Amino acid sequence: MSPPCSVQVTGGFALLAAWFFLANGWRNLFTVLSAAAVHEAGHWLLLRLLGARVLSLRLSALGAVLETDSGRLSYGGELAAVLAGPAANLLAALALTAPGRDEFLAAAGANVVLCIFNLLPVRPLDGGRALFLLSSWLAGPAAGEAVSRWAGTLTAAALALGIGLVIQKTGGSLWLLPALFASLRWGVSPWFSAL
Amino acid sequence: MTSRQTGKRINAMRGQRRRPVGSARRKKSEPLSAKDLRRLAQLVACGGVFVLLVAAKLLLPAKMAVFNQRLSSAMERNVDVQAVFSAVGRAFSGENVMEEVYQAVFQPQTEGASPTGALRTEDMKTQTVKLRDNGALDTLRSYREEPETPEPAAPSETPEASNLAYVLYSQENLPSGVRMDQVLLGFDYSPPLAGGVLSSDFGYREHPVEGEERFHYGVDLAADAGTEVDCFADGTVTAVGESSSYGRYCVVSHPDGYATLYAHCSRVTASSGAAVKRGQKIAEVGETGMATGPHLHFELQRDGAYLNPIYYVSAL
Repeated sequence: MSPPCSVQVTGGFALLAAWFFLANGWRNLFTVLSAAAVHEAGHWLLLRLLGARVLSLRLSALGAVLETDSGRLSYGGELAAVLAGPAANLLAALALTAPGRDEFLAAAGANVVLCIFNLLPVRPLDGGRALFLLSSWLAGPAAGEAVSRWAGTLTAAALALGIGLVIQKTGGSLWLLPALFASLRWGVSPWFSAL
Repeated sequence: MTSRQTGKRINAMRGQRRRPVGSARRKKSEPLSAKDLRRLAQLVACGGVFVLLVAAKLLLPAKMAVFNQRLSSAMERNVDVQAVFSAVGRAFSGENVMEEVYQAVFQPQTEGASPTGALRTEDMKTQTVKLRDNGALDTLRSYREEPETPEPAAPSETPEASNLAYVLYSQENLPSGVRMDQVLLGFDYSPPLAGGVLSSDFGYREHPVEGEERFHYGVDLAADAGTEVDCFADGTVTAVGESSSYGRYCVVSHPDGYATLYAHCSRVTASSGAAVKRGQKIAEVGETGMATGPHLHFELQRDGAYLNPIYYVSAL
């Protein structure tokens, strides 16, 4: 089998991973990375099932992005592919908390956190893309764009506020800063990029 | 196979596209593209931050030192990711622990501080008995001139000059800055650990990890991981940190130039700069750093000289 796609890792990703490792230890880093791997594997699997090609996997400080030629997919197909990531996390969490298992609670928690985080209606997170696809499917692309812009900006503002609150309350957790900047950028950028 | 080739081709194209940007454009003095403008803005912003920081460092060294300290303490304090994930996992598996999640995220340093407070005096009494029964202490005690006097519950005891340590160490060269005599502390104190067992004494010993003989500047009190570490006496937390040998540790300064150090903690719950009371929980026993099991490494210093803490941890 040939490798599924090319992989690009940015310096920002390596730096953030190193920082997270220093702040939280290798075990937590492994937990988070494996939850992320489950997530991306979910996307990848569904894209392959739908016949779309995955061109590359890009790991940056703001997360992992799969580049695909998804232009050929239908709304329904793309929606399914977008939601496959969080669904994979959910399944993994269910499997990890199967009755009688206590030792994988942290891994299950990481999967749940990743699932919920990705379902936030902010593009480019899965929830934002799903909202855009769904609303475009139902009401047309213009309405979909408007809906997801507003939802994205409001959620991103709330998210930034939440992360800021955590940082302030703990007096640290600075490795969350990239997420703070990312959410600010995600909230603001749709209003400028399309013009 | 095809997908791999496509990926490579895209990479190659990206590389080519990037290269000509700088050199070719500048000669013709065309208006800058949006991408170039963004790069320029990034460069100016980063350069500006750099120049600003250098200027601040040169012009306001004191303020920068304060800023530095604040930044490093901010980098040390973190959400306990493990606790957060575990709490979320437990919530997911059906238990109702939203409170725990909230606490793990927002109060990682104060968790579980209060419920043991009521029991603590009781614990300490049993602890006294345990320490008295300890074999290592009996060896030490047998060198004392008089049989031990019943020690008062209030720990400010009368000065009892002990030559015990001097006897034990007179043949060996003591490292500089070490005092073996028992000093009278001018304040109330209490043992840092309830339920600990002396596992390594102050003095020369074979290093448990590195093998060679070295001076041990504190006492090791073995206890279960997570056991509460209480502050030795009233004072101020002057340092909270992590090192390869001490693991997670904190230093508390007390009146008259005394200071105590608590090392190998699983976590330090007191924050740097905080005023702490005798008996207040400041950390939890762990085996971070160079340790072969969960224990508290406890040091007592006065003006930089190391004192033997054994007199004070066994006093209660």
